[in-house]
Amino acid sequence: METQVHELVGAVHDAAWQPWAVQYFFLVAISVTSLLMALPAFVFGKSADLRAARLALMVAVTTGITAPIALLADLHQPFRFWEFFVYTHKSSWMAWGAWIVPSYVALMLLFAWAIHRPEFDRMGQDDWRFAWLFRLFSLGGASNGFARPLGMLAGLAALGILVYTGSEVMVVRARPLWNTPFLPLQFAATGVVGALGVMLILERMLCRDGALEATLNRRLALALALVAALGGAWFAVAISGVSPVHSEALASVAGFPVWQQIALWGAASVAIPFVLALTLPRNTGLITGLIAIHAAWMFRWTVFMGGQAVPKVGSGLYDALMPTGVAGLMGVIGTFGLWVFLMIVYTTFVPWSGDAADATPSARTSDQAPRKSASPQEI
Amino acid sequence: MDTTRRGFLGAIGQVTIGAAASVAGAGQSASAEGTDVPHWGMVVDLRKCIGCQACTVACIMENAVPEDAFRTHVSVYELVKEGQDPAMVMLPRLCNHCDDPPCLPVCPVEATFKAENGEVLVDASKCVGCAYCVQACPYDARFINHETQVADKCTFCFHRTQAGLLPACVETCVGGARNFGDLNDPESEVSKMLRDNEVSVLRPEMHTNPNVYYIGLDDVLDGRVAGEAAYHPEMADAVQHHGEGL
Repeated sequence: METQVHELVGAVHDAAWQPWAVQYFFLVAISVTSLLMALPAFVFGKSADLRAARLALMVAVTTGITAPIALLADLHQPFRFWEFFVYTHKSSWMAWGAWIVPSYVALMLLFAWAIHRPEFDRMGQDDWRFAWLFRLFSLGGASNGFARPLGMLAGLAALGILVYTGSEVMVVRARPLWNTPFLPLQFAATGVVGALGVMLILERMLCRDGALEATLNRRLALALALVAALGGAWFAVAISGVSPVHSEALASVAGFPVWQQIALWGAASVAIPFVLALTLPRNTGLITGLIAIHAAWMFRWTVFMGGQAVPKVGSGLYDALMPTGVAGLMGVIGTFGLWVFLMIVYTTFVPWSGDAADATPSARTSDQAPRKSASPQEI
Repeated sequence: MDTTRRGFLGAIGQVTIGAAASVAGAGQSASAEGTDVPHWGMVVDLRKCIGCQACTVACIMENAVPEDAFRTHVSVYELVKEGQDPAMVMLPRLCNHCDDPPCLPVCPVEATFKAENGEVLVDASKCVGCAYCVQACPYDARFINHETQVADKCTFCFHRTQAGLLPACVETCVGGARNFGDLNDPESEVSKMLRDNEVSVLRPEMHTNPNVYYIGLDDVLDGRVAGEAAYHPEMADAVQHHGEGL
């Protein structure tokens, strides 16, 4: 017997994880996937990939610093952050994350410093206004043989971030949309898409190297294909009933037109850059990059803010678009603003475009000053 | 002690509705004398609930709940069954003080804990306001208190039960729908109600072993209620009826 239900009195619940959380998950995923993409060249000596690796490291550092700040902003008691380290609750993925995040940021920064140390040292020995600053940066030496083990450790920490961020959300049974085993994989895959998107934009703005653009676009197409495959598999197991948790996730939102529109929008955000990147790998980097960034960000916005808009016991939907109003929007803009600022600092003070051979740790295992590859004025 | 509402009527004159605790259950755990440690539970007889929201207001007054949140409230539904007249159905909602609370293991700093008498409490002095517990609660019973900036929820009026009083919502319930007592005591009113009636819990599929039971709960209301919502946000305006299905 069918029963029609009309909710007459109910409570609306605010989103407890706010846009800053979206920014954190977005930026940290970009950072760790960028770092992992930088490792083959810097750690395993795949020198043909150095130009892309330099961009990847730049993205990893700048987003890796911004992400924890966004996370702290989402904490309602930010000055109690130290309690994470005093009262670690081992059953909580967030508690593990509190240890993994600073480890990752520290290792990633040390690795980036080690990679650039020879260049810092060289610039510190040149005769120019800010030489003293670079002598300080280099800590009085050019040796960077330790970059390889640091890179490996940073890579492990990056994998730790991917595992903890995915698991932290996936274990929440109360939110069907989050409680799906595919979610950690989707976070990782869309993280790669976002990272390649940022790298493409930076390539267009800083390098303008058609070959590099084509390489990045081809990788983006691959990553987008993976995202599409994961999305398709998610939908298939949900609609077939093979996986009850996925079926429940789909059922929790399928009846709402707004979610159908989101699904179509998301599919277009994957399909359009995929086709462009595959068919026109040159001169499309700006557009494919922007759409890729949008796709990675939108996925997280949909999962977090959209997921919280699905009531656990009540009917209908809560505010899904911008639940925290202008303050939430400012949070999004503010974190992007911080990232832009860090990009300016990085491109100003870090010799990121130095000679390829100079950047590999194998090339610098002693304190011998490297050959000159770029004048300070070129930085 | 007698923890049924009727048993407490005589003590009403002694009840002090004083300044409410601004923290969600901060303080020491319940102390029990002897070996018979009470295990608090609530039985809500939906046949007696008239949806007056006196419990909602009493809770707000007792616990200084901020304007934009509830520790408890009464959801009201109109059910239209085939061939029957529409029926108004009330559903008081609150923290279920689960024996296997999903909010507890996720807390990164162990601020959420299970007290000796079964209450799920938050040490507000320890809570970092990460809201992970808010996400994990399958009953939407937790929220971030925007005045204290920590997780907040029903405590079964811990400060009152410690003083031998009933929770404010039980105390004020006009129809006697809310019943509170010791589930470990087979002679308590709540234990008798559980024995003598068919009872349900909310979201049984979550296996949380809740300590809030309902008499007369319609199956369509025990989970996420698939129906037309009272609240229509801008984005969901097009939705007239949510079938919650594929």
